Amino acid sequence: MLPDEPQGLSRRSLLTGAGALGVGAGVVAAAPGAVLVRQAGAEEASPPATASGQAAQPDAVAGYQSLGIEEAAIVEALVAHMWPADDLSPDGVALGIAIFIDRQLAGAYGQGDRLYLSGPFRQGKPEHGYQLACTPEACLKTGLRHLAEISDRRHAAPPDRLTADQLEALLHDISETPPEPGAFDLKAWFNELFYPLFVRGAFADPIYGGNRDKQAWRMIGYPGLPATYTTDMVTWRGRRHPASDTPMSIQDFS
Amino acid sequence: MATRLPEKEIVVIGGGLTAGLVARRLVPAGREVLVLERGPDWSGSAVGELPHQRDELRWSTYRGMTRRENVETYTLRHSPDEEALPMRQLLSFLPGFGVGGAAQHWNGQTWRFSESDYVLRQHLTERYGAKSIPDGMTIQDWGLTYRDLQPYYEEFEALFGIAGKAGNLKGVRQAGGNPFEPWRATEYPLPPLEMSEASQIFKDATGQLGYEAFPLPAANASQPYRNPDGMQLGQCQYCGHCERFTCEANAKATPASLLFPLVRSRPNFELRAGAEVIRLNTTADGTRLESVSYVDVATGQEFIQPGSLFVLCSYTLSNVRLLLLSKIGTPYDPVTRTGTVGKNYCYQVTSGLNMFFPDRYINPFMGAGALGFVIDDFNNDNFDHTGLGFHGGGYISATQTNGRPIDTRRLPPGTPRWGSAWKKANADWYLRSMSISLHGSNYANARNYMDLDPDYKDQWGRPLLRITFDFDENDALMCRFANGRMEEIAAAAGAKIVSKPGVRKSPYDTRQYQSTHNTGGTIMGADPNSSVVSPHLQSWDVENLFISGASVFPQNSGYNPTGPVGALGLRLAGDLLSYLSDPRRLG
Repeated sequence: MLPDEPQGLSRRSLLTGAGALGVGAGVVAAAPGAVLVRQAGAEEASPPATASGQAAQPDAVAGYQSLGIEEAAIVEALVAHMWPADDLSPDGVALGIAIFIDRQLAGAYGQGDRLYLSGPFRQGKPEHGYQLACTPEACLKTGLRHLAEISDRRHAAPPDRLTADQLEALLHDISETPPEPGAFDLKAWFNELFYPLFVRGAFADPIYGGNRDKQAWRMIGYPGLPATYTTDMVTWRGRRHPASDTPMSIQDFS
Repeated sequence: MATRLPEKEIVVIGGGLTAGLVARRLVPAGREVLVLERGPDWSGSAVGELPHQRDELRWSTYRGMTRRENVETYTLRHSPDEEALPMRQLLSFLPGFGVGGAAQHWNGQTWRFSESDYVLRQHLTERYGAKSIPDGMTIQDWGLTYRDLQPYYEEFEALFGIAGKAGNLKGVRQAGGNPFEPWRATEYPLPPLEMSEASQIFKDATGQLGYEAFPLPAANASQPYRNPDGMQLGQCQYCGHCERFTCEANAKATPASLLFPLVRSRPNFELRAGAEVIRLNTTADGTRLESVSYVDVATGQEFIQPGSLFVLCSYTLSNVRLLLLSKIGTPYDPVTRTGTVGKNYCYQVTSGLNMFFPDRYINPFMGAGALGFVIDDFNNDNFDHTGLGFHGGGYISATQTNGRPIDTRRLPPGTPRWGSAWKKANADWYLRSMSISLHGSNYANARNYMDLDPDYKDQWGRPLLRITFDFDENDALMCRFANGRMEEIAAAAGAKIVSKPGVRKSPYDTRQYQSTHNTGGTIMGADPNSSVVSPHLQSWDVENLFISGASVFPQNSGYNPTGPVGALGLRLAGDLLSYLSDPRRLG
């Protein structure tokens, strides 16, 4: 995808009934949303290409559980922007980060299974951490809505239709600007909820839907499993360990 | 309606490290011991088995082994005139949950506190004068000395197979060990772990500066080991999954691997998991404990468990809360500085910096919980504080505990937080960076304490514990001083890029992991007016109640607390046997 190309067109094209056929195949293919597009009749959409040039296998876990179509469009636009396709890897959507975020929201974490959620609810200092009355899933969606409103005010367009420069400026603004008193704290939302999920989606074991094909691990040289290095501590001290080139995941041992 | 159960001789509240040490001693001696643990029994579950043991998201990021906030959390305010807010996610420290407690998911760093720690006020007064101790610094002496604890440190290190190098054998300095180590009777049971590239870089750099780095004492077995009880540890695999995990190779010493198996099949021992103690019930005159009330967390049913001797072995903060909920002792008042329960809450002052080496492979994924070289020159009173304006200090180390990619990817200062440049920085530096860190003391402050929260309650309707805490000037000055030493080490190491170390200062940030080393609140001492338990850990108020764990520390040292917690636990086990044979106030 070109850096300045408007993102998320495929999904909105579908929503508006324009169909996906008029959109570049590369745009369609970059998203797990391609499943939806194919259901709409775009069978010719080719499987996403990975950085290594191999065609990826059809994604067994594609399809959203928690995110609605417009919510997914925004999340996909954010993760594709924050993890762009380049010579190191395909973009964050192809890496599975959006699917990862969706699964986390639908699962125990998103439902706040261990959060202390009793009142009273007060606005604390940032150092008090999470003080919202909602589950992470509800909170994440509230933030997406606020982000869409800001985007609409500034550019008369949703986040997934912004240029890369516009989106970049928007993300910097919300991640650095303290909230107005009483307003929804998008700064905390981005830095403490969305951004950590984004990072987890990139680097967690692929069993959760992100880090597809261990591409983020390969990119940095993390060998994953198995990790038994008793003799390696001496043999490979100060040298590049061969396991860095061939990471192994829980999936590989299950 | 609570169900009253048959009496047990000894009722232990909490199923962690010190509960295991007590049971290990009392059960083979023929005493009847019941351990009540509110969390699960982890044995045989995915947490300890490959491949799922290596799941960073589940066990580390989402803290799968640690206490759930909706079971018990704490409220926090930075000063007594603020409203406290609950820690809805426990991020800055990680209390244990389940059999083994925090010693199930710990890193294994096993220190002995300095000789001056036990007599801190006396020591600083003698060396620097009483005026050098600020009025608000409410440090106290322990009521015992290092000499009293030395044999128990020895025993604990043998039981847990600590790997290390002695620096001081019976007063004789040993090359390669800690020059500041308090004297010890024997060499460590196991030789040090094999060091990483990062540790070697640190050793070389500190050597250039004239310091003698030594291996961190580790409960990660460097070789297979059989302890004096006949219990076996495997060899550390350097897999980088210690803290927040349990050990798949059985190389990390834990209560569940070394202590509870010794007594589990005995008819006079019972471990009831899923039993949350909600109150300690005193007799009408308040001088003795008659029973504890607990809830079966599976059914919500309440039970009354009578006993003749009670040992409070839960986490630091839960020990304090149970006393306050049960109205045992006098709560501390920060204005009048009277009362003792909740007094001298202390934490740990930590900081660190990152170093980047374009041409060196650090391989951060090959690590162990307590793997690394350390210098102890700037800890506690190991250096002259004259004119520095603060007391205390910490050890500086290059530990390589893990390179797990969600949490441990070091990036040079100024790296953007997303985008291609961020990706490239991850690719460039993950394998080629390391950190140096400070693990520092936190001395008691009159304003830092614990009481019951007026607003927030747990699922059983009981008030949460309220923590009033912030770092003070002493902490900031100490941290700034140590940061300067770390920057000198980084310069000597020849790192291409060095990040600026942060100064630990107000306001305390609950969102950032710092350490699980909360101490105080049921502090020990020789004077009932200024302590909750005696030097034998016996409650001054309730004769048949003993309290164990880091809640008895009068202030926190610049070391990790598990060594002294273990030593105190072993000493307590002997005291309990003595008490049972002749119930009385121990001298």
